[in-house]
Amino acid sequence: MTTLFVLDVDDFRPLAEVAAKDPDVTVRRRGPYLEVSAPGAIRIERNATGCRNAIWYSSVAAVQDGRVSHWDKSELVVVPTGTGE
Amino acid sequence: MSSPQRDRPAHTVRGVDHAAFPTFDPQATITFYRDVLGFPVVHATCALGWGPGEHPDFIHFFFDIGNGDRLAFFYYFGVEPYRDADLPDLLHRARHLAIHVDGAENLLEYRRRLDASDWPCELQVRHETVESIYVTDPNGYLMEITRPLRAITAEDDIDANLSVDALMDVAGEPEPSLEKFYARKAKLIAERYEGEPELVTFA
Repeated sequence: MTTLFVLDVDDFRPLAEVAAKDPDVTVRRRGPYLEVSAPGAIRIERNATGCRNAIWYSSVAAVQDGRVSHWDKSELVVVPTGTGE
Repeated sequence: MSSPQRDRPAHTVRGVDHAAFPTFDPQATITFYRDVLGFPVVHATCALGWGPGEHPDFIHFFFDIGNGDRLAFFYYFGVEPYRDADLPDLLHRARHLAIHVDGAENLLEYRRRLDASDWPCELQVRHETVESIYVTDPNGYLMEITRPLRAITAEDDIDANLSVDALMDVAGEPEPSLEKFYARKAKLIAERYEGEPELVTFA
């Protein structure tokens, strides 16, 4: 599973909330983190999160079995390890 | 696992006594810190250069930056001005002193003082946990004044410790990268909080 960790604080929680709108995404709480998992890619639209620049670009705590393939001012995409997107 | 905090020695330091920098323009420095920003002068050591080698005569003067902390400068008589030539902008921005204020009104007051001077505020940014204004002082040092946007929580501290533990590991490997850091940190999180995590729904 592609897994993105965000810290469960007000600043970063919106990323998990937006990601969870995708039916393939599961969100669990692991310690102080929200563990956002999906069998494929995880896509999060910045506008839907309402995050300002500094929050948006510091929102990723960790990534397991995947990598950030795209992260600009409008979208964050985490893809499974080994995919070339 | 994350670092063994239990074994740490007692943490008894109490903030900044003073941070000191050389200046080759004491007039502009005093004007900027005392007259523009309004930082009181609280101490000055005026000394004959009796130290090692060709140590010049000097004045070591201090400004109060709140909380009993001080910002200090050395002015050396008869020493040729020196500045880092070709200092990359990234390093210029990385080396800075950030001074704390409590709220938005205080931050804006310092911005007003700067904007009315020969050293106007260069940038105002809302970071993750603080909002800051930036100015380059007469010596070319980047200075920040910052106010908290939210309280730092226990979660932030845990995350910070996991981050530096991951960085300690990754920085020692060939070609460290943010991608490797994220992967290492995920492993540390999984180790530290093993077991079946609770499902979260957003109603």
